[in-house]
Formats: sequence, C-alpha cells, structure tokens
Amino acid sequence: MKKKIPNPRVVGLIILIVIMAVTGIIYWLAAGEGEIAALDGYLGGEKIGLFEDEEIQEVLLDEYRIKMDYSKAGSLDMVTLDQSGMDYLFPSSQTALEYYRKTRGEPLKSEIIFNTPIVLYTHQIVADALAAEKIVTEEDGVFYLDMLKMTELIISDTPWADIGLPELYGNVSIDTTDPAKSNSGNMFAGLLANTLNGGVTADQQALPLVLPRLQEIFSRLGYMETSSADLFSQFLKMGVGAKPIIAGYESQLLEFSVEQPEDYEQIQDDIVMLYPSPTVWSTHVYIALTENGEKAADALLDPKMQELAWTKHGFRTNVYGAAVSLEKFPVKGVAEDITRVMQMPSYETMEQIIEGLR
Amino acid sequence: MKDIFRNVARAAAAVALILMLSGCGAGKTQLRILSGSENQELEAILVECEKKTGVDIQMEYKGSVDIMRTLQEGGGAYDAVWPASSIWISMGDQQHMVKYAESVSTTPVVFGIRRSVAEELGFTQAEVSVRDILAAIQNQNLQFCMTSATQSNSGASAYIGFLNAFLDKDGAITMEDLDNQKMQTQMAEFLSGVERSSGSSDWLKDMFLEGDYDAMVNYECLMISANQELTDRGEEPLYVVYPYDGLSIADSPLGYLDRGDEEKEEAFQKVQEYLLGDGAQKAIEATGRRIGYGGVSEENRDVFNPDWGIDVDRILSPIPMPDADVLTQALNLYQTELRKPSLTVYCLDYSSSMNNGGRDQLVEAMGMILLQDEASQYLLQASSREINAAVLFDDTILQEYLVETPLDENLAALYQEIEGYGTRGGTDIYAAAIEGLELLKNYDLSQYTPAIILMTDGQSNGSTCFDDFARAYEEAGMDVPVFSIMFGDAEEAQLEELAEYTGGRVFDGREDLAEAFRSVKGYN
Repeated sequence: MKKKIPNPRVVGLIILIVIMAVTGIIYWLAAGEGEIAALDGYLGGEKIGLFEDEEIQEVLLDEYRIKMDYSKAGSLDMVTLDQSGMDYLFPSSQTALEYYRKTRGEPLKSEIIFNTPIVLYTHQIVADALAAEKIVTEEDGVFYLDMLKMTELIISDTPWADIGLPELYGNVSIDTTDPAKSNSGNMFAGLLANTLNGGVTADQQALPLVLPRLQEIFSRLGYMETSSADLFSQFLKMGVGAKPIIAGYESQLLEFSVEQPEDYEQIQDDIVMLYPSPTVWSTHVYIALTENGEKAADALLDPKMQELAWTKHGFRTNVYGAAVSLEKFPVKGVAEDITRVMQMPSYETMEQIIEGLR
Repeated sequence: MKDIFRNVARAAAAVALILMLSGCGAGKTQLRILSGSENQELEAILVECEKKTGVDIQMEYKGSVDIMRTLQEGGGAYDAVWPASSIWISMGDQQHMVKYAESVSTTPVVFGIRRSVAEELGFTQAEVSVRDILAAIQNQNLQFCMTSATQSNSGASAYIGFLNAFLDKDGAITMEDLDNQKMQTQMAEFLSGVERSSGSSDWLKDMFLEGDYDAMVNYECLMISANQELTDRGEEPLYVVYPYDGLSIADSPLGYLDRGDEEKEEAFQKVQEYLLGDGAQKAIEATGRRIGYGGVSEENRDVFNPDWGIDVDRILSPIPMPDADVLTQALNLYQTELRKPSLTVYCLDYSSSMNNGGRDQLVEAMGMILLQDEASQYLLQASSREINAAVLFDDTILQEYLVETPLDENLAALYQEIEGYGTRGGTDIYAAAIEGLELLKNYDLSQYTPAIILMTDGQSNGSTCFDDFARAYEEAGMDVPVFSIMFGDAEEAQLEELAEYTGGRVFDGREDLAEAFRSVKGYN
C-alpha cells in the first residue's frame, strides 16, 4: 500500500514548489512598491498586547510599510538604556518625555498617542471590606476609592484583620511596579504624594513632609516588578493573598477581557476595578529617535489604529469617545468619563521623589 | 482584495523559504530552554509538545539563582529561560533580552513533614508559624532537608520567609534588618535543623525519597509527587504545612531570549501557546501545579489530596521579596554566616594518570573554592565556621591538610600546597575515601553538613576495593555523601557506585568545571 503513494506526493510537491516559487517572485515584485521599514524600540509592557495584535501589525505593514519590533522596558528605564539601533521609545507618561528632554535634548518627534487612567485592581472580598469602611463607594455602577482615607489606613499600619479580613496576612498595602523604573508605579507614587500633601498637587516645598512618609510606604513593598503587565498577570494568577490590591492601568483589564474572554469569565465575579478619587492620567507618548521611527508616529494616530487601540486594548483615544462604546467590553464598572483627575507633580518634583525612593 | 493577495503571496513565499532552508521541511527548529529542575516532572508533557508543535525542545536544568546569573552574563547559548520564579528573570535580565515571559503554573513553597511527626508536633491541628517550627527544631523534635538558598529558588524563598518571620515583619526586609543579631541567632539555629541540602528542588525530592528523613522544604507540587510515590510504596506520606508568616509562591515564568532570530521566536511562541493551552494546562495541573485563574479544576481535584494537608481553598499570603540589593546581601549572609557550616574532605587524586590534563583541572577547581575572591563570584565563599580538609592520594595517602579556621589566608595557603604538589603512582580512591571517613570521626557531625568530595579520574587500581569502603562506611555509621568530580580520562562506573551507595552524586568536571563544582558545593 505504501508503495503507491509516493507518485502523487512527488507530483504534488513539485507543483507546490512551482506555485511557491512563482508566488514568491510575484511577492517580491509586489513588495517593490516601497521598502518595508523595520523598526526596533523600547516599549512599555502594557502595550505589548497592542503590538502583538495582528490587525494592528497589518495596518502598519499594509498602509505604512512599517514593521515594529520591540524590547520590553520600563517607561523611565528606557530613557537611560542604550539606545543604539533603536528607532523609538514608547513610554506611558509625560514624565518619561520630560526625562528624555532633560537628559538627551529634544527628540526628533514626540506625539501623544492615547491615554488611560491609573486604577486599582482588587478582589471582591477586599472591595467589600473597603466599602464597609466607606473607603470605597459606588456611583452609577462605578467604584471609587477615597485616596485620603486609603492612605491613612496604609500609613497607620492597619492589619487586614482590622478591616474584617483575617484571612489576609499582614497590613493593608497596595502593590505597585517600581516607581523608579516603571510608569504605573511612578504615577501611583505621584498620586500618593498629592494625597499626602492634603489632596493638593505636591510641589518641591511639600517634599520634606511628604517624602519620608512616601519612603515608608514603598520600603515595605520590597522587591517591585518593573513591568505593569507582569504585576497585573501575577495579581490575576496568584490570588487575593499574594497581592490584595495593585495599581495599574484601566486599559489592562479591558484588554484582558477582549483578548482572553474565557479567562475573563473565570475571574469576572472576583476582580474589581477601583478608580482612585482623584486619579491621574497616564499619557502614552511616542518618541521617535530616527527617521524611520518618525514614520510610525503618523501610523499610530491613524483613525483605524486608534479605534483598534480602544476597542481591543482599552486605551482611551481622541477619536473614539469612551461614552459611546463601553458596551463592547464585558467589564462592569467602567467609568464613562474620567472626571476626578488631578495633575501629577511637576517633572522636577517627581525627579526628587524617584531619587528618594530609589 | 490586494491585501488578501499579498497575504497569500507572503505566506507562500515564507513557506517556500522555510522549505528551502530546512531541506523540504524535515529539519526542526531547536529551542534550548534553561529551566529550573522542578520542571523535570513535565517531561512527558514536553514530549507531547514537541510532537504537536514540531519544535525540538532541549531542556537544561539549573537552580534558579544560577539561571539569574546566566541571564546577567547574557543568557549563554539558550533560547529561553524557565526559572521557578519571576524575580530571577527581573533581576537577571539586565540586558532586556527576555520577551513574552508568562507564568505557566504556580505552586507555593511549603514544609512537608512525615504525618506521624507532624501529628506529634500538633501541626495537623492548628495554623503553623515559622516560630512553631523553630521550637520543634530547638527541642530536637524535627530535622529537615532544604535546597541551598544561594542556588535554588525554593531554598532562597523559604529562607527569606524565615527571615521575615524571625524579624516579625510582614513588609519587606531591609538592609538594617539583616544586622539584627537576634534574628541571626534564630536563623542559624533554624538552619542547624537542616539534615541534608541540595542545589535543586527536584534532586532534593529524589534524595528525600531515597533516604530516611522526616521533613523537607519544597514546592507543594513536589510534595504531591513525593507522596504519590510514598503511597505507592505503602509508606507514610508527608503532611503539608503552610507556615503563614513565611510563605512564598513560585510562578514558573517561561520567557524567550530575543536575539533577533525569527525562526526561534516563532518556535518559542508555538511552544508557549501549547503549554498555556487548555490541554497542556490540565496535564500540568495533574502534576500538582496550580494553573489559571479560577482555582483547581474539578477533574484534577483528587491530585490535591486534602488528607496530605494540601489545601487549595486556603488563601495564600506570601511574604514580599526584598529588593534586589537586600536579597543579594541576604543570600551572602546565608552563605557566609547562617547556613549550617560545611565539613568537607576533599580527596584529591595525584596519581600519574591525572597527568593527562586532570591535575591542572583539579588545581583550577580548588582555586575556585579556596581563593575567596574567586569563590565569592559564584556565591561559593567559605562560611565563618566551616571546616575544610584535603587528602592528597595516589595508591597511598600522600599528604593531609586541615583548615579549621577558614580565614582567607589559611584557605589560600592550602591552595598553594595543592598547586605545588606533583603527580606520582597508581590510584586508590577507596583508601582515600576511607581516610576521609576517619577524619570526619573527629567531629560532632550533627553540627555540620559533612561531605567527602573525590576529585579524580576514577581509575582505581589499588589494593582497596569497594567492599572495603562499604564495610568502613557501615562501621562509621555516618550519613555522609561521597560526591565525585571527574577529571582527565575519567572512568565513571566506580564513582557512580560510591555515589549511589552514599547518596552522593557524580559530576563531570571536564565539561563545565565551574558548574560541576558549584553543584557539589551546593549539594553539600
């Protein structure tokens, strides 16, 4: 039986090879209409999902003749890393851009691509306990966390048991990424500084009072992840005991719900998104380092791209207002408008804060 | 339309290219993964993965701390890393090469104690703290096995957990904390309960199953696998204790080492996708690892046997890891002060057959351990209370040295002696090992981690034989492993026999000398 098969196989293979050779040649000819620019750069971990999205890659390639590779790096880390061979930086904050300007001068080009607010993620039992303490309140199905009260709870070394959670070991805390390396941790540190400053944006005069308490809060956290994406995934996988509350981006849960709908179903009853009141915006700024890098700035602002960034990855953009399309996400408790927002401390102030937390 | 055409064309061109490169599709892309030893248990799943993905997976096993070091040095020749915990990637990946790192499964680091012992200690009834365990050690009711904190993730995380417990801290420990004398005393007392150690978690489990020990610190998943074997043998299983004030969780991240090779990258993604897919995840869960987001699935619930103390509904609150500098300092403190001091007899082969490059390799290896500047690079530096002896032999005992005060200059002086000695005569490894036993008889071995390390080519042709050694070993009645590091034209059989008999292990010093030596020291 086996002996009869080789003939058609060989014929098939030859035909296949011929077809491939021909299509291959046509492809190379077709590709002649414009060189493909292969870009490499440093990317904040929270945007990896977006860069790995095939639809996004297609828009980049077909309409802009761009392929974007990346190395994962924290938003602040990437400014100081060796940038030889890199075409772009894509951090998640203005602070990183300021940092860049300060250390390396004006970049070739920089554009704000999209925004997402800093939020807190927690588990239902923790959210319930915080609600009982009146630290978390619900308005129109959206949960807000009172930053002042929460910070007091943390500063005063309150054991979880004291707010009705004896099953959690240790004191109330919020895990973040490393504020000296990664943006979500950095912005949360800024937010905490504002809170410790009585709810007013912290400036340099405030630092002598604010910084020691900030240092105390962060020193308890010990080793901090350098990527928001890693922290988020550990939060989801390790359960409430490991990381009862984390600081992250709103986009993370929205993206997770779209990219991993089955996994989301498993966690949706347990995971709660809390908007700190007030919160801060994380602004995702694209910094072009080379001419090739510049090409991608326009591509990322393409309406098609912006739509995909919101509907599949949860980044709020200028093109698509959140109010109209929240139903696309299975996530409950997403705020239509982010109104309770405050200014981050200035770059100079943040610089001192980071130095103090290093 | 144009787009579709282009896509098809692109795919076809890619296939054509792959066919050309691989000689008609027969060649498989090879993926070399540097992994923690606990993943050895997943080999059947990886074989299945190879079949499904067409990727040739080459696993190499090391302790997680070593994986961190490999990453710091640029990742060696590996395409991917798979340590026990994310912290080792974050600390090691200074060159930002690691991509797509994602947790494959999680498992907590726990204490497994023979049920009857656990019952006697009251550990099956109530919540257990690290201090409860310390009390049991102080009352001489408990001894345990644990991997080396400076090599393996389970040992390192358990050790950090103990530090937190003795400092009464639920936040991360700081540099100042490490100077706390009371903590240091308690920690040293705690570690004095370590009966045997090893450089990696899976090997610790094997050693535990071969020997006669009461308890071990290891991953929950390896406790499950040990218990499956103990139950099969009709022996008493281990009872799993989760010390609430010193717990940690390993999250087993698999990440790609990006060097711009697209074929490898694709192969990696296929493998990762397979391992994170439903089928493989369920199979991984069946080995006692925790997966996914929603707790243990119904079909695998039996694996996590509550009769063994395993509790999947319990909320696990791990202690936070300290930041990188503090962690490094804490590991140094373990290595130099707190761990149970080692009592090592090095039996060094100076027979003429070692002339074949063997002697030079041996001297180089001894430099690595005795010259403290070198040793500290590998976290192998001498601890303040350790004892080192050297027995130089051919077919007779040539010379003996003893260093009871491990000052840098004393160890360097020993190195000078070793370096200056020339080869002669035949080989008698058994006589040397018996001499090693004699030396050990002078000490209270419960205060040390004893070991005999043979550095030889193994071609014993003297008048003493294995049976003579076995008789001496039984008479001495000591639990001392005989390790071997092979050099020159090594003959493995005799060394394997010794290792098997004493619970030791044979390493090849010719392939990666540093590695072999680190391993021996770690298992010591």
